[in-house]
Amino acid sequence: MRFEVFRQEKRKEYHQHVGDVHAPDMELAKQYAQVIHARRKPANSLWVVPKDEIGTVDADEQSVEMGGTTQKQYRWATNFATGEMPEEIEESEREQQSVERDAAGESDD
Amino acid sequence: MNIEQVKERAGPREFGPSDEMPEPYRKAATRMIQFHANSEIMGALIERPFIRQAPSLERKLAVSAQVQDEIGHGQLLYRAAEQLGVKTREEMLDELADGRGKFLNCFHYPLDHWYELPMIMFFVDGAAMRRQASLKRTSWEPYAHAIDKICFEEGFHIKHGEDILREIATGSRRDKELLQDAFEKWWPRILQFFGPTDDDSTHGGFAQEVGLKTMSNDDLRNAFLNAYLPKAEKYGLEIPEYPRIEYDESRDHYEIENSDLDWAEFETVSKNEYPPGREQIDSRGRRQEAVDWVREAIMDDSTTAVTGTTGAAAD
Repeated sequence: MRFEVFRQEKRKEYHQHVGDVHAPDMELAKQYAQVIHARRKPANSLWVVPKDEIGTVDADEQSVEMGGTTQKQYRWATNFATGEMPEEIEESEREQQSVERDAAGESDD
Repeated sequence: MNIEQVKERAGPREFGPSDEMPEPYRKAATRMIQFHANSEIMGALIERPFIRQAPSLERKLAVSAQVQDEIGHGQLLYRAAEQLGVKTREEMLDELADGRGKFLNCFHYPLDHWYELPMIMFFVDGAAMRRQASLKRTSWEPYAHAIDKICFEEGFHIKHGEDILREIATGSRRDKELLQDAFEKWWPRILQFFGPTDDDSTHGGFAQEVGLKTMSNDDLRNAFLNAYLPKAEKYGLEIPEYPRIEYDESRDHYEIENSDLDWAEFETVSKNEYPPGREQIDSRGRRQEAVDWVREAIMDDSTTAVTGTTGAAAD
């Protein structure tokens, strides 16, 4: 059986997908996940989920519209030039900018 | 955990569904998040007519995206509230429909005109964003997670709101007059957005002690004025003489003359008894009732469900 593994690096952070393990049952899957995905890299918690239990929606499916698959400039903060903004708005815009850069394939990582 | 332990540990994103939280914490968090969720829904409803009334296709698309975002925020927040185990999503939606659910004062007033839209989309949403940014550090982790996504999207709303404001403010003399009228009508309500001063706030103290809220109403109002008064001036809006606002330079603090604001009306609004607001609530309630059968069909997990599939029975 295949299990997907999500690692939370530090307390209070989001769990992020880091890979999968093959194991006959949940008990061993948790042990493998620990050894493979949390032995060296720092981890606070792991989520181990049977692959079969995961529902998937792909961007190329018919009638599916997800962020990044559409050209909708009008819903980005970067579309409007309004000069200096309060700090929390600037932060929101920076987050949007970084997503836009990733989508355009210009990301450093 | 008892309340004393909660107060001791309280910090950003400190508590989640796996923690045993005492009832007063769960109730306070539910009250706060449910209020926030209701406000997203009621805010979306008063903005919605402007999808149709937008003066250009670009504006129409952006307003419609914004309304979709707000409804999504409502859904995220009901989810975060639901996890506290005090009320289900259905209970919260029913409370909103029958007038028990409370929401922000500004969304009780009708928006009659395109010129009024930036009052909500820029000033009110800007005030909301100020408050939301401070909630990234709330102690209920599911709430903070919802806030992460809300704040990501909200930057567009406020910049779009300001862009509409700029467009009107640089228009004809008549545009400017109508804009100033709208501003004078909305300004006192916007000042009341953050509620009564801290001395009179009933729930603020406890919510801050357990880390649900991270800033007081007064501090939030002050931070909002610091950022948005210059914006109003930038677009040539004249700040009305009343309510009086005094700036105290030594404390970098704006003092609002509270007696210049209509707190009796605020009280009526807060109790869902202000007639135009009541009408918005009832109108939403009627629509919720009208689509009850859809919800029932979806919730019905028997094999005769309207989807025609037997997914639940397949295992």
